[in-house]
Amino acid sequence: MSKYKKTIIGSTILLLILLASCLYPLYGPTNFNHMNFIEDNHGNVIGKPPFPPSVSHLFGTSRNGEDMFWLLLYGAKFTLITSFTVALLRVLFGGVFGLFLSLWAPFLKSLFKDFFLAFRYIPSLLIAVILMAPIVGNFNDVPIASLVTCQIIILVFLGIPTATLMTVDITDELLKTSFVQSSFLMGASKFHIARRQLLPFICSYSVLFMVQQLLSTLQIIMHLGIFGYFLGGLNRAGIFGWDDPQGPPTPATLSFEWAGLIGQGFKDFNLAPWTVFTPVLGFFLVIVIVNMIKKEIENNILGLETTKWGKKRKQASSVKQFGVPLNTFELINKE
Amino acid sequence: MNSILQFIIRLVVIISGFLFTFNLPHFFCIENNKIRLSFQVFLNWVKEDFLTLMQLKGPNYLEYLNVLPIAESYEYTMTILATSLLLVFFLAILTAVCVLLTPRRVQNRLKNVINFFEAVPDLLVIFLLQFLVIFLFKKTGLKIFQLYGIFGAKPYFIPVVTVSFLPFFLLLQFLIKVMTEEQNQHYVVYLRAKGIGMVRILLVHIFRNIFPLLLLQLRVIVWVILANIYLIEYMFNLNGFTKVFQKNIFLLKDFPMLIVCLVMLAIPLVAVETVGLLLTKKLNGKESARL
Repeated sequence: MSKYKKTIIGSTILLLILLASCLYPLYGPTNFNHMNFIEDNHGNVIGKPPFPPSVSHLFGTSRNGEDMFWLLLYGAKFTLITSFTVALLRVLFGGVFGLFLSLWAPFLKSLFKDFFLAFRYIPSLLIAVILMAPIVGNFNDVPIASLVTCQIIILVFLGIPTATLMTVDITDELLKTSFVQSSFLMGASKFHIARRQLLPFICSYSVLFMVQQLLSTLQIIMHLGIFGYFLGGLNRAGIFGWDDPQGPPTPATLSFEWAGLIGQGFKDFNLAPWTVFTPVLGFFLVIVIVNMIKKEIENNILGLETTKWGKKRKQASSVKQFGVPLNTFELINKE
Repeated sequence: MNSILQFIIRLVVIISGFLFTFNLPHFFCIENNKIRLSFQVFLNWVKEDFLTLMQLKGPNYLEYLNVLPIAESYEYTMTILATSLLLVFFLAILTAVCVLLTPRRVQNRLKNVINFFEAVPDLLVIFLLQFLVIFLFKKTGLKIFQLYGIFGAKPYFIPVVTVSFLPFFLLLQFLIKVMTEEQNQHYVVYLRAKGIGMVRILLVHIFRNIFPLLLLQLRVIVWVILANIYLIEYMFNLNGFTKVFQKNIFLLKDFPMLIVCLVMLAIPLVAVETVGLLLTKKLNGKESARL
């Protein structure tokens, strides 16, 4: 288990954050330490939100007067659970499609690539923006659960072509190996091969895929926040003091998930940078942890399995050991 | 004959792929504050988009092509892309060589630093640079760098720096990894035994061997830069191609225009890929080229 030390520590931290966020209603203030105006003794207003970071508000407050730290803690669960679900579903669907494509329908491979040509040449952020626009682009009163479901479906869809093609690549590599070939020669059915020979490999690879997809999902959720497509939709109440009297209210996030916090704060960046930096740093922390996990899994899987990298590394290290240690030669005829 | 048939099939599949992908949200239609799954609405949208796409000689076909400032904005965006690509390319090679020339212990530390940057989200970099520029402005009162694209301004410096920051580290990390692996090869050992200097080995001999790999990696770099440009142009309100694109999505909703915009955005990637394929083909003499 010592091989996965970092993974265990990292996932424990993530789980703790998630747990703390889920249990928030039990201990946290329901109004996020709301603080509207500061008045002096004579009742004159001497300050209004957003307040910069101070002792009472370690990360400052948002423009609505809520403490950023509590907001961040409260919103963590939505961000984490959504990205995790999306990553899991992407790998699941991608894996199943990929296995099907390369085992039973190899002729469909090129058609599949052509069908999803857009995903090869256009950054997924652009596609995400186009696809999200009809659903969360405007204010609506759809129940939050169904809205989030739609968003998750779209986010999953964005990753499926890549995940499928990656699975196809790996499965094709595996099908060329000698143990699969000899299994075919002995008359094994395709299903049998998939179950007995490919599944162990696919299982270990899918963990790695999932971590990679988790990273890309986190990135894309964060970017969508900038464009104002918050998870869970927009809050009509808007942001205090930022309303355009004639136009629609400036959208605020309904669920307080992190991307939404970035999105609602970023127009305010010049005046109150802490409202943006706090959620971005939150993302940074999570991404660093996930990346650490990814690195370790990558090292363990790709280093141990007989892939190209592993072979190369072994060869490279064995080159240096060619030399014979000193004093190991002994003359036979010592006279 | 067979190849023509294949070409037609591919074309049909590609177009239907576009139609499917970009009409996907219409599966969920919002009605009376409820989301309803309907295949019918989706089909209608697909049919409508297909028809607008097919009426090549209609009066309204691609009319916005003349209305929107496409050429100007496209030029601006592509200038940023090309500048940062060149910057990233040469700077990364230079830095990689410098890092590999340092002693082993320093090298390992530098590698750790570079690996760390892989995890930094691009938004953090953008915000930090923005913060720095504003901080400088507030402290010195001098407007050294133009940040926002208001009043038709076209800043170059800050967008290029912001956009190339993370791709630089990405390419640097890749180069160092590949070059370190190459250093264990027999021919490098032989060259060193012959007494050829490390700079020459790195720049001439190793570089020649990793060049195909580098070309393949450039595709990823262009991809990242494009995504970053899109973000930056939106955030700093620059008058780039993104604005045309944005207008098209939200106001015009014209399907043929959307495709034209997407294809225009994809041109740099396709170009890099084609150049890479052609060069690798020339170098290796095999590997079939395919879009």
